[in-house]
Amino acid sequence: MDYKMIPSVCSYCGTGCGVLFQVMDGKLTGTMPMKTHPVNEGKLCIKGWNLHEHVVSDKRLQTPLLKKDGQLQEATWDQAIQTTAGKLKAIIKDHGPDSVGVLASAKITNEENYLAQKFARAVIGTNNVDHCARL
Amino acid sequence: MEEQMKEWLEPYSTTDYKTSTFETMQEQAKEWLDQGKVDLFLGYKMVQGHPLPHFFKKDNLDEVDDLIFGQARYSLEKIATKIAAEHPEMKIGLLVRDCNQRALNVLYVWNQLNPDNMETINVNCCPSKLKKHADCSYLEPEKYGSYKKMVGIDNNMEVEAAEEFSQEERYNRWLYEFQKCLKCYGCRDICPVCFCKECSLEHPDLIATGSIPPEVPIFHLVRAVHMGGRCIDCGLCEDACPSDIPLRLLYRKVSETVEDVFGYKTGTHTDQSPFNLLGDEVTLEPKPL
Repeated sequence: MDYKMIPSVCSYCGTGCGVLFQVMDGKLTGTMPMKTHPVNEGKLCIKGWNLHEHVVSDKRLQTPLLKKDGQLQEATWDQAIQTTAGKLKAIIKDHGPDSVGVLASAKITNEENYLAQKFARAVIGTNNVDHCARL
Repeated sequence: MEEQMKEWLEPYSTTDYKTSTFETMQEQAKEWLDQGKVDLFLGYKMVQGHPLPHFFKKDNLDEVDDLIFGQARYSLEKIATKIAAEHPEMKIGLLVRDCNQRALNVLYVWNQLNPDNMETINVNCCPSKLKKHADCSYLEPEKYGSYKKMVGIDNNMEVEAAEEFSQEERYNRWLYEFQKCLKCYGCRDICPVCFCKECSLEHPDLIATGSIPPEVPIFHLVRAVHMGGRCIDCGLCEDACPSDIPLRLLYRKVSETVEDVFGYKTGTHTDQSPFNLLGDEVTLEPKPL
């Protein structure tokens, strides 16, 4: 039997509320507000309270999906990246780099977000970068 | 930050309440773990500069030297119920304030924890109507702004003072408070005595989920009614409320009614609740009004 409280920061928006992940026997079972955190002082919104759900959700994708004949089908990462790169190149060639927009995420790290904007600006050549947590 | 940490950790001196200093508390926990009286001891440990609930075990007895308590207050007993649900035979030691002890009593009454499997070490507690001579380990009560005092309910109000408003004014003031609700369910999720598998606040026929704001005042009143014979006035719900709704005051009124009508003081003992209708015998016996 093992039970741990892991301190972390809520990834839903830019506020930065302190949360505690409850982990029982290696399985993430719940989220609690961190009472001494200077940002949220022991309070959370409904998204924060359910932060663990997207980690353990059955609906979470395990592999990339590619649309073939109008249907989403499981694919390998290699197939997914090759297809995306090929189509992006074709779109940029036909319509210019500003026809592409990059949407980053609050669910990934700061460094990954940095890479995403770098990819948009340096590789694609557009300033069309935004993300879901810009509240 | 350092000063705040000191504040969180400062143990308060008490007069008539059993005080455990860090050392005696650590020795006791070590002894219990070592002798197998408990398999697990729930207390607090400083992690990344925050006092967090922590689980001490026999295979790491030296870690018990990090066992602390302070002003940060979590519902350790709620965590214990989650462990007991998965591992019913587990013997659990627990650091308890008076509010934790009252919650434990309610959890025993409602068969969520087995008192034979629980051992407790008492530490200083928060002020409460149920425990008049308690020491305050609470921070200074929050001071509320003049607008809230003018149109809403001051969270520090006594039940009697809140009842002095005329019925219409009282209703409007409470409505102002309820309308701030974000429907985060924090009051329920943090509550040590909220353990129902099916919650009325999520029942499709009673209260719709997935839509905000909640219907007022029904959302709050449904919860208030369900706090009868359960609420032990720990105040964690109000602590967790992002909208500062005076929930503690609301549930105090409910508890007062339960005491007036049934003579039942919730959490102070492990006698059966008047609302426990399971089994053949109905225990609901209102006193003559």
